Amino acid sequence: MLMKEGRSKALAAVLMIAPFVITYRTVFAYPVYKMFALSFTDAPLIGEGRWVGFDNYAKLLNQKLFFTSVWNTGYFVVLTVVPNTLIGLGLALMVVRLKGWLQSLVLVLFFLPYILPVSVVTQIWEWVLDQQFGIAQYLIEFFTGRRISVFRDPIWAMPMVALVTIWWTNGFNLLLFIAGLRNIPADYYEAATLDGATRWQCFQRITWPLIWPVTALVLTLQLILQLKIFDQVYLMTEGGPFNSTYVLLQLVYREAFRLNHGGLGSAVAVFLFLIIVTVSVLQYQLLRVRGR
Amino acid sequence: MSGIKLTGVSKSFGAVKVIHDVDIEIQQGEFAVFVGPSGCGKSTLLRMIAGLEETTGGQIRIDTEDVTRREASKRGVAMVFQSYALYPHLSVFDNMAFSLSIARRPKAEIDAKVRAAADILRLGDYLSHKPSQLSGGQRQRVAIGRAIVREPRVFLFDEPLSNLDAELRVKMRMEIARLHRQIGATMIYVTHDQVEAMTLADKIVVLKAGVVQQVGEPLELYRNPDNMFVAGFIGSPGMNFLKARVMSAAAGRLVVELEDAPGVPFDVPGTAGVPLGKGIFLGVRPEHIALGEREGSVPLKATAEFIEELGGTGYLHALTATGAEMTVECRGEERPHPKQAIRLSLDPKEMFAFSERGERLR
Repeated sequence: MLMKEGRSKALAAVLMIAPFVITYRTVFAYPVYKMFALSFTDAPLIGEGRWVGFDNYAKLLNQKLFFTSVWNTGYFVVLTVVPNTLIGLGLALMVVRLKGWLQSLVLVLFFLPYILPVSVVTQIWEWVLDQQFGIAQYLIEFFTGRRISVFRDPIWAMPMVALVTIWWTNGFNLLLFIAGLRNIPADYYEAATLDGATRWQCFQRITWPLIWPVTALVLTLQLILQLKIFDQVYLMTEGGPFNSTYVLLQLVYREAFRLNHGGLGSAVAVFLFLIIVTVSVLQYQLLRVRGR
Repeated sequence: MSGIKLTGVSKSFGAVKVIHDVDIEIQQGEFAVFVGPSGCGKSTLLRMIAGLEETTGGQIRIDTEDVTRREASKRGVAMVFQSYALYPHLSVFDNMAFSLSIARRPKAEIDAKVRAAADILRLGDYLSHKPSQLSGGQRQRVAIGRAIVREPRVFLFDEPLSNLDAELRVKMRMEIARLHRQIGATMIYVTHDQVEAMTLADKIVVLKAGVVQQVGEPLELYRNPDNMFVAGFIGSPGMNFLKARVMSAAAGRLVVELEDAPGVPFDVPGTAGVPLGKGIFLGVRPEHIALGEREGSVPLKATAEFIEELGGTGYLHALTATGAEMTVECRGEERPHPKQAIRLSLDPKEMFAFSERGERLR
């Protein structure tokens, strides 16, 4: 009797977790396994290939574009992750001081870009930054003395892609920070005010340490997201000019979908996958330890 | 001398006035308690003294200095919050040292002051703990310690015991009383619990809807309340109120008759000039009502409802013929049964007369 009940409980448990297990296996575990497997073959985009051992990895190490992509991806991460986080925190500190409907309105305005599709975002910014009639050119001209076709200039292209990315994704970080800031009781600030703390001291000694778990989370999410940069680059610069915005995911796309090198494309993907896993786990652990 | 004087202090939120022309004087070293029901403005008044809430009108003086418009940190007050407001990421030591460390005091001085405060509060063993590792009572002590370290002119307590369980509350109450004796500073304490007010205060300020009802020593408020609100609020359980009619009045005494006991006139202290035949309220405390009939007392018939049994004493809740609710303190063995018809004796010497509007008739 007892065994029968135990068996039916186990069956119910299996049935309940089955949808997750099947989905996870089909859309995550199997493709990841396949990616690793393909990276050791000379497979084209579709179909199986022959086992070639570490040949694809060796090929990558002899390819200049691979190193350019690694460098550019790193550059993009540096340009976006920390600035995006700090801007999000800075804006949140300002927005959280607003009261009632005004706070909601400002929050909506900042969040609005985040719900736009990437193609719309890039189109907006191509207009804003257009060399002929872009409104931002007045600013560029003011500082540099000339109009610049930013997406065709190897120095300007990547920072501009970063700028667009920050504009696009900052609303989400802002939202996370607002939630974090609202969790800090007003009493803490009142007690500090009575103790004579200045606004900066309040930030330094109360807000910053107490918002740190959210900051660590935002930094990690940003790192993962920005390492996977592809859409904005593909739509705005296609990796150019002179490969100055060529990134790892674009190399995967080029090898696999343009040159029909499924195996080599997978090798780049494996490389990116390992970077993301290592860096994000490492970063999160480091940040967590610091926050203790 | 760190006395506090409030003169005509008022506070409005937009068109809503929440504190009405408050005048209070608290002497140096006095333990003053602001007491009143929720929403009476007692916490707001405390926060105005602290400087956390802007004062709309009037003047607040500490040590004869006008601090009405002065920044909170420059008033020389320290506050213990209801939530304790301890920083969860800092140790007990750092929490207590917070004010000194932001003022960049020398390390040796910080260390000495924090340890001295920790000794007073018996927190010496917990200085390296985080607030989350402490019990409610210990957290409360840390919050007090943080105030002591600042050596303020005035200590402000905003319902500091309301997050503790009943047993701990009594214990902490004693600790706060001991602390007051030990350091002798001026303290203002806000609570809605009149027992806390009675046991701690040198001076009680009773507030209702932002208006001071009465200021005085605990026993003075108990023995000589200015109005029905104070009479009902101070004392536990609260005073009983019965409707009565004035039959005649002379030389500071009123001859009255209870609605529940017609034909039994008796006299109570009260102002002459109250219109004859007019309705008034008579207040009598549960401890001044006896079960059964007594010589020289006013007899009253009632029906027993239920008893709150405390062991040594019990509180009998009863209903009179007109439906007035009565609470009677029963000492000794005798306890009526529910629904039993009983006779009560009210001591006329211990009765208070109030006008229909609740003002005391003296």
